[in-house]
Amino acid sequence: MIQAILDGVLTGAIISLGAIGLSLIMHMLRFANFSYAELLAIGAYAALVFDGLFSALVPVLDQAFAPLTLTGALALAMVIAMVVTGLSAVIIDRLVFRRIRLKADPLSMVFASFGVALIIRNVIVLIFGHHAQLYSQEIARAHVLSFDPLILIKPDQVFVLGLALVLMLALHVILTRTTFGFAIRAVAENPTLAQVAGVRLSAIIVAVWIIAGSLSAAAGTLYALTNQLNPLIGHVFLLPVFAATIVGGIGSVYGAVLGGFIVGIASGLALMLLPPGYAPAMPFLIILAVLILRPQGLFGEEPR
Amino acid sequence: MIGLISYLSFFLTMAGIMAIITLGLNLQWGYTGLFNGGIVAFFGAGAYGTMILGSGAEPDQFGGFDLPWLVAVAGGILFAAALAWVVGVLTLRLKHDYLAISTFGVAVALESLVRNSQWLTGGARGLRGFPRPFEELVGDTFTYGLVFLAIVLVVLALVWWGIERLVHSPFGRALRAIREDETAARALGKNPARLRLWSLVIGSAIMGAGGALYVSYTAFISPQDLLPVLTFQVWAMLIVGGAGNNRGAVLGAVLIWGVWTLSGFALTRLAPDSMQLDAGSIQYILIGTLIVGMLLWRPEGLLPERISQKPTKMADKAVLEVKQ
Amino acid sequence: MMKRLLLGLGGAIALSIGMQAAPAMAQDCSVDVGTVYPTSVDWGQPIAQTALWVGDMINEAGGVDGCEVNMILRDDQNDSRVGVDAARALVDLDAVQLLIGTVSSGISIPILTSVTAPAGVMQMSCCSSSTRLTEIAASGEANGLWFRTFATADVQAAVAAMLAQDGGIESITVVFKNDDWGQDIGRIAAEAFEAVGITVHESIAINDAQPSYRAEATQALRDQPEALYLALYPTEGISFVREWIGLGGTSTMIGANSLKSDDFRTAVGLDNLGSFVGTDTSSPRVASADAFVEAYTEQFDGPPSGPGLANSFDAAAIALLAYHAAGSDATGADIAAKVPAVTDPEGEAIPATVDGFARAMDVLSGGGTVSYQGATGAVTFDANGNVSAPAVSWVFAEAGPSEERYISLEEVATFMGSMN
Repeated sequence: MIQAILDGVLTGAIISLGAIGLSLIMHMLRFANFSYAELLAIGAYAALVFDGLFSALVPVLDQAFAPLTLTGALALAMVIAMVVTGLSAVIIDRLVFRRIRLKADPLSMVFASFGVALIIRNVIVLIFGHHAQLYSQEIARAHVLSFDPLILIKPDQVFVLGLALVLMLALHVILTRTTFGFAIRAVAENPTLAQVAGVRLSAIIVAVWIIAGSLSAAAGTLYALTNQLNPLIGHVFLLPVFAATIVGGIGSVYGAVLGGFIVGIASGLALMLLPPGYAPAMPFLIILAVLILRPQGLFGEEPR
Repeated sequence: MIGLISYLSFFLTMAGIMAIITLGLNLQWGYTGLFNGGIVAFFGAGAYGTMILGSGAEPDQFGGFDLPWLVAVAGGILFAAALAWVVGVLTLRLKHDYLAISTFGVAVALESLVRNSQWLTGGARGLRGFPRPFEELVGDTFTYGLVFLAIVLVVLALVWWGIERLVHSPFGRALRAIREDETAARALGKNPARLRLWSLVIGSAIMGAGGALYVSYTAFISPQDLLPVLTFQVWAMLIVGGAGNNRGAVLGAVLIWGVWTLSGFALTRLAPDSMQLDAGSIQYILIGTLIVGMLLWRPEGLLPERISQKPTKMADKAVLEVKQ
Repeated sequence: MMKRLLLGLGGAIALSIGMQAAPAMAQDCSVDVGTVYPTSVDWGQPIAQTALWVGDMINEAGGVDGCEVNMILRDDQNDSRVGVDAARALVDLDAVQLLIGTVSSGISIPILTSVTAPAGVMQMSCCSSSTRLTEIAASGEANGLWFRTFATADVQAAVAAMLAQDGGIESITVVFKNDDWGQDIGRIAAEAFEAVGITVHESIAINDAQPSYRAEATQALRDQPEALYLALYPTEGISFVREWIGLGGTSTMIGANSLKSDDFRTAVGLDNLGSFVGTDTSSPRVASADAFVEAYTEQFDGPPSGPGLANSFDAAAIALLAYHAAGSDATGADIAAKVPAVTDPEGEAIPATVDGFARAMDVLSGGGTVSYQGATGAVTFDANGNVSAPAVSWVFAEAGPSEERYISLEEVATFMGSMN
């Protein structure tokens, strides 16, 4: 059971990174963005491209920081991928969502986001192909923390968790210590009042997309690092990320973080609680439970 | 020529079934404002219910009660309605996005249940052995296709007429009232929770009818028919056609089903051979672009909602009295 | 503005596609063959590609009855509504008499029962595994028009049990893909293992598209099985096995033929696959299977990698040769009637190469019969369209999967008899 919880924490960290952005976007732009999780795929593939590029140009970077499977090239690639994905998110918003936002209701945006998700996923397939890819062929071995009960942990896992926490901490610092962060929170709480106070709404929206895009890119790359890269990453994470956002309460960054870990751990425990084969249903059972008991999620606004 | 008619009859049969499901969604979303993200669950409940009741017995398999077609279909519809009632009681208090995700979750859970309970639903193997209605009477497959199309169109007309009556009845006006201003409606003594529940149940029963018809045609059902793509397709149909408008719902169903199937056909004719293997991905990109384009161009749908301007008989009489 | 931009873009794309369309090869006649495969799914695309390649090879050898074969490929999107619609369009609008497809039984079954069988069109599938199809064929509903080049699960499961027994394995855990194929073969394999006295700790279902299979791998690890039986496709197979090895699980694994994949070998690594053995169907002459691998490698710059490729090759080849034997204006039933002429054990043995096809077509035109030696072996079909072929065990080697031991039909039958 402890093992299941530990594994759940790993998956949960990745889901949390994804959910933070979704929570902010859903709250600010008021629509359920079904293309959001594709940002994880864009990030992971962008990292693949840049990793290949850097390894080829500067071979010395292609060495892993033992005992991780992470190479210098990949680390650098991940940073670039975060920037690239942030910009892609802004571009997609400009091209599609902003126009619809100005003309129509949130439901149209939800639909448009389905369309955008289909397009992104299949463009990735056309460019990179369907098959699974890896950053590094090496299989990272787990270290045995204890024999009875059997507890295993991989160095990559610890790194992923650590990096995720660092990123979340960085975001926390930005939100609570910088003017920029205050502006974001003001817009999240009361857009009209914030604008009256002189905050430029469009600039904040761009900023939030960049944050969401870069966090998702990190999540996607970290996932691909510990698992594999394939065009379906977006599809695979869509529902867990939504579940985390709902559980935490739309609009709350801390809720999204907590929600991500809850969903990750619950999915890990799924096998102990449900007969095998029912694992996909787990995130939703959690959502149902949380929403029946507390419909606004853990930290969401009280229903008006 | 016969080939063309045969294909058209099949195309219209499927479009008709989709239209029925879209009408059910229109009742839930267009008239009541319920964001149902689990359409495929109610479709599936109707389909599996009908199959279990109507198919012949199979060894080691639950079901196979071999009931007459109409009874099996009625059973399937009731099952869909019952599922909707349970889901509604649990989740209808939730707001928009939360309701959508919860209902989506119900659909995922149902698919999971169906896939893993071999004894109840055949598991991933699915169920078959359903005698199609009137099949023995009509020997020829081509004619049978037309007969089944007629059955679907009859059901579509019945559903349409039923919804139109419902919407112009006191129930329908109460639905509009709670959609426009819930507090006022409550002040006037309406019970929004119960109204929403009824709307969900009736709309889902209609979706179940679509499922029953579908399984009556294909005579086979498996968990593969319960994947979320159907939910997305039906929503696209309603959005593109125009929510709140029954004609829009049917138009949207035909259009979106048309785009979905004919894009594949068109690619085989127009795309060069070297691109054949990528045609699948290109088809998805085309569909996605079409939906986004449609929303950018005309987000309210092709046939927007029309608030009925028809005065009631009482208003007429009042006007007459005043005039006199 | 956006609308105009999109319309313009769409128009430009359509125009350029239209302009690129290659002019038809100048030949007197052509024969349309319908092909329905999930090309938008990762493992589906190579399967479709292989079928199209066979069409090209047949054309090179002279075409069906002298007519050019035009393979019309439709994607079923792994969705039964779309698949049935695609089949309908092919049968009604393109008037094909032969339909090759599809992979998922949940789609092959409705296509068979509502489109091809009622219309008298022959349907040949490479990969649909459900036992339901045997039921349908046995009941007569398929009108003798259904064939599949996919070996039934009981033989493969028996071979797996045989290999486990030979390896001295006493306890095993079954890991299966949670779809109709996986559920079937997982169950039958567990029964087979039990029948030879091997303890099956548990059977773990692996669902598609999950972010992580760590929980499943950890659960399997708890029982510390001596070996694993893997009925998985490469995508989830890679995820699961990498987790399993990373957690220190045993590298003694028995795999179904679905894992005969280059992606799997590269991702898991040859050094971790030293104790991996797989099952598959084979040919009495190992030569023909090698011929397939060589030809495939030459054609596609890499060995066949992924489930169903050899089956897809044979499905298309047998179907097209039968079409040739029946004549270019044959109906589906005519073509179906000629399948035994292509797979006659007494007929002249021909390899699956362009020259082999040309030779076969000569013999068939002259009214003779051939014994097609294909990528999955010298297949013969029974009355229900099921294939029976000898089995083989294979391992991963530098150059790709390499066959280790050939197990004849008689040997399998004897073993299965001894199991009870």
